[in-house]
Amino acid sequence: MKRLSRQILLATALAFSAWTDGAAAQGTVGAADWAAYKDRFLAAEGRIVDDANGDISHSEGQGYGMLLAYLADSRADFDRIWAFTRAELLLRDDGLVMWKWDPAATPHVTDTNNASDGDLLIAYALTLAGEAWSRRDLTAAAVSLGRAIMRSNVRTVGGRLVLMPAATGFDAKDRPDGPVINLSYWVFEAFPALAQLLPEHQWAKLSNDGLDLLEQTLFGKSGLPPDWTSLKEDLLPARGFAPEFGYNALRIPLYLVRAGNRDAELLGAFSSGITGPDGALKLVDIPSGAQKAALSDPGYRAIPAALACVVGKTPLPDDLKTFQPTQYYPSTLHLLTLSFLRSRYPDCL
Amino acid sequence: MKPLAFILTAGVGATAIALGASDALSRLWPSDMPEQNFRVSENISRNLLTGATKSGQGREMLAQATVASPPAAPATPPAAAAGQVDETALRYFARQGDQRRLEAEIARLRALYPQWTPPANPLDIPPNQDTRLDEMWRLYSEGDYAGVRKAIADRQAAEPQWQVPADLLERLALGEARQQLVNASDLKQYDTVIRLGAQNPSMLTCGDVDVLWRVAEAFGRTDRAQRARDAYLYVLNNCPGPDERLATVQKASEVLPRAELDALLALEKTVDGKREFQQVRDDLARRSVAAGNADAKVTAPAQDLATVERLAGEQKLTSDYLLLGWYYVQRKEPARAERWFRLANEQEPSVTAAQGLALALVELDRPAEAEAFLYDYRGENEEVRAVYLAAATNLLAIVPPVAIPPEVLQRMSAEIAAARNVNGAQQLGWYADALYQYETAALWFGTALGFDPNDEPSAYGLALMRWKLGDVAGVAEMQRIWAGRSARIARVGQPEPGSRQTQQPAVAYATPTSAYPVAPTVPAEPTPLAPRTVYPVTPPSSAPVAAAPAPAQTIYPPVAMPQTFPQTPYPQGVHQPSAVLAQPNPERFAQPPQVMAVRPAPQAGGQETVVVQQAPVARPVQRTAQRARPAAREPRRAGCSTTIDASTLSPRAALDRGWCLMDVNRPVEAAAAFEVGLRSDTEEARRDAAYGQSLAYLRLGLSDEAALSAAKAPQSRGRTLELQAALLSEKATGHFEAERYTEALMALDERARIVPESIDLMVLRGYAYLNLKRFRDADQVFRAAAGTGDREAIRGIASVKAARGETGN
Repeated sequence: MKRLSRQILLATALAFSAWTDGAAAQGTVGAADWAAYKDRFLAAEGRIVDDANGDISHSEGQGYGMLLAYLADSRADFDRIWAFTRAELLLRDDGLVMWKWDPAATPHVTDTNNASDGDLLIAYALTLAGEAWSRRDLTAAAVSLGRAIMRSNVRTVGGRLVLMPAATGFDAKDRPDGPVINLSYWVFEAFPALAQLLPEHQWAKLSNDGLDLLEQTLFGKSGLPPDWTSLKEDLLPARGFAPEFGYNALRIPLYLVRAGNRDAELLGAFSSGITGPDGALKLVDIPSGAQKAALSDPGYRAIPAALACVVGKTPLPDDLKTFQPTQYYPSTLHLLTLSFLRSRYPDCL
Repeated sequence: MKPLAFILTAGVGATAIALGASDALSRLWPSDMPEQNFRVSENISRNLLTGATKSGQGREMLAQATVASPPAAPATPPAAAAGQVDETALRYFARQGDQRRLEAEIARLRALYPQWTPPANPLDIPPNQDTRLDEMWRLYSEGDYAGVRKAIADRQAAEPQWQVPADLLERLALGEARQQLVNASDLKQYDTVIRLGAQNPSMLTCGDVDVLWRVAEAFGRTDRAQRARDAYLYVLNNCPGPDERLATVQKASEVLPRAELDALLALEKTVDGKREFQQVRDDLARRSVAAGNADAKVTAPAQDLATVERLAGEQKLTSDYLLLGWYYVQRKEPARAERWFRLANEQEPSVTAAQGLALALVELDRPAEAEAFLYDYRGENEEVRAVYLAAATNLLAIVPPVAIPPEVLQRMSAEIAAARNVNGAQQLGWYADALYQYETAALWFGTALGFDPNDEPSAYGLALMRWKLGDVAGVAEMQRIWAGRSARIARVGQPEPGSRQTQQPAVAYATPTSAYPVAPTVPAEPTPLAPRTVYPVTPPSSAPVAAAPAPAQTIYPPVAMPQTFPQTPYPQGVHQPSAVLAQPNPERFAQPPQVMAVRPAPQAGGQETVVVQQAPVARPVQRTAQRARPAAREPRRAGCSTTIDASTLSPRAALDRGWCLMDVNRPVEAAAAFEVGLRSDTEEARRDAAYGQSLAYLRLGLSDEAALSAAKAPQSRGRTLELQAALLSEKATGHFEAERYTEALMALDERARIVPESIDLMVLRGYAYLNLKRFRDADQVFRAAAGTGDREAIRGIASVKAARGETGN
């Protein structure tokens, strides 16, 4: 496994130097796809609606929405989503983003904690848009948020730089299996962008330490990482959570390839681990390696299909090439996958 | 209204700014800001955000604000000099007939451009032909800032040459910052509030006092009382509205320590012989007395007590009567307490008032009256029950024993048995003993021991009764059980050297400081007050309460006696007459007790962590698919007449119980039951519980708690509106009752935006206007309401007339 680790590091180091022409290229989300997405998931006031979770909104959704609007080159929609995010969620004293907003509750924010994947996605989208559209206000907001992430959400644990899932609630003092991390919160493609914006912080180390942790958490028969990992002693699936490769971790291979990782061995392992019958995406019980679910929504199936493209040059099945909105989460993943392939692997489309 | 720049440069509160800070300040603003505008902003910043710069703290504050983050710079510079004043918004509001916004806009432009004169008739202004810009102003005026952002970006894409009006951009940025500030303030993110205030000083104007209040509060809640005080002072010094001035001091009184508050009160004006902050001073006196209630060691200043007594005399509010009653009953001034509690009871009978009066009466050694007064309330809650039992016990403990009518004795016995009250049972034993009813006395002592097998005084009583009844074996058994633990039980039946006869136990327990009696005595003759045939004490076995816990025979046998014994010797005062029981618990009685009992415990710091921890965890799991539809609520269970503790129930059962309790109007317990219901495993049930708890708190008039509860689970839109509307009614009524009419109107306005105003609230609105001397508005709203034939509204019209007559309007 040592060899693999070095390869991963090398692969991402390469990606680090060339982030601007990475997967985050504008225009790689088509106008029609974006129109279909926003008709379904973007409410007029600028919030992305998680329709599978009681129509709430969250910082992750806002971050994805801003990133997709940027990729679709839709400044109007970007501004709308950002305006809502700033006014309703970017309220914490520490400069991080409150994660949960419920239309049916008063006040609407029902949990003032943050979620670091949301923070990271928003900071990333702000960085990209500020640069591309020469918008000082967006860049300034990205700087503030990036600093807040480093200040309040990143810790040194056992010599590694670690992105905590939130500013509070996951440390050793908070829970018996703490510190607990979620490796799918490492949005790898965001780190090079933030490193350019805030070079005084150790974004590359945060990225590399995340990859190192990922390598060490490929547990069990399936060789897949769990959603939640305890850093208490050995790296183990965190006890307070189901020990599974689930809805969180399924994003990891997508984030890896979007960030420029081309490690055949690692991606091949993911590919064989997550590809289920008829191209479904498998959720796996880590201890037994047994399949817990096979997700057939096109948005989920797009992920193993993209891995097959990267690893084996296999074109995407036709029904995944076009976008039809289904539910917020898989539809978001679908557009992110198509955008990546369009810029990097157009032959697979 | 005077231009703000003038007021500020005239400098009532303006202080010199520390060198260096002005440099920091300029970094807060784009260098191409209009000169005039900059000066205004700078001055406000000096006043508010630097605070009292003589201490030099201002520098630090500004520096913090600057470090936080650079401000959002407008993409285009705002219009520069006067003469090019952008009147687009003005025109828009004029054409919309939006008088309020029109006036605000005129005031704003005047402040910004002092040499500018508003058009004589804004409606004469030729209509703006730019319909897309009109649309942006419409979105802006509706507060849809995201919509404006989108419209701007759309238009920029379609018409690359188009320039966004600077005025629109500036106001949009300000509107967004205001929204963000208000949200942060509502969510108690006070550093964010201060940061936003520092970044957007032009938001801090008399035109939007609410924002000033929120910034002041943010300072106050983050231990910066002086800055908070300066912010409130800024309003008093600069914003002329009398309602706003009063509201400012009222708000400050909730945030500032008394010393800082006094600086504000010093700015009080006397208008028509009336001191404008009198109401706040009155409330402060009330608060001071209430603080004396909360902590028995705190004495309210005599002046404050006198004020509250004066207010009680003038305004005749039950709440003032109770405040004084509770204060005095804790200060061992029962006679005064009795007076206030009696007034409260006459005006508005309540458990609290009855409980207070009973306490005072017990303290005044009039337990019979206390017992009689409280009997009807005894089941209201545990606290009242405790006071009732104390009254009953004290009544029994009077020496020499008083004649207690049989029906009273009977009901007291029943209550004591039902409550498993050791002291009461023991006192019944002594009472029976004093009446020579030794067998009955033995039964009661046995009962008391059944309630607490380690109660030595009861054991002593039982041993003594057995001895009096000639039960030598029984006495020996008691002596064996209590060997080594009670000297006096060991000596029961042994003649005391030098004593002529055995002692009367009743005397012994009545004089607790004296040594325990060594041996019982038989009095020479029966007390005339207590001939046994006339005053029978009902033994517990025949107590009429079905719930009487333990029949005598099961208590008696030695098996009920303890096998392990405490090591500590019994204190001398053990069976001192239980007047001590009757003392109010200061913490509980600080406020009306039944309210305190249900108020949720203050949130511990750790609590947030718990919530937090679960949130991101639960999220992905739910991603799979739509939630399973929970089964419809089971039919409500038939009964909830018992007083079981809801925390012992399953969440589902507690939820049902909550609704049942609401049906029988027991909202205090219902709220507790719904709390348990909140732990249900389905979203639907949790929603139901949050909804129910919110309604329960609303019924109790606890709108803050109700709002908290409503947020505990997401509600459907219909329910949210219903709750919001109810909360706002509650808020409006509360403000109105506190004579905060401006805030009452604000709440009513907010409510009117989500649901139509009901007739009774229209009447409330009318009276709020009337109290603010806005006769025209009052008349208008009363007339509208009177159209439905509402009597109150018709009366309101007459009140307006009368008030106008008085003031000559």
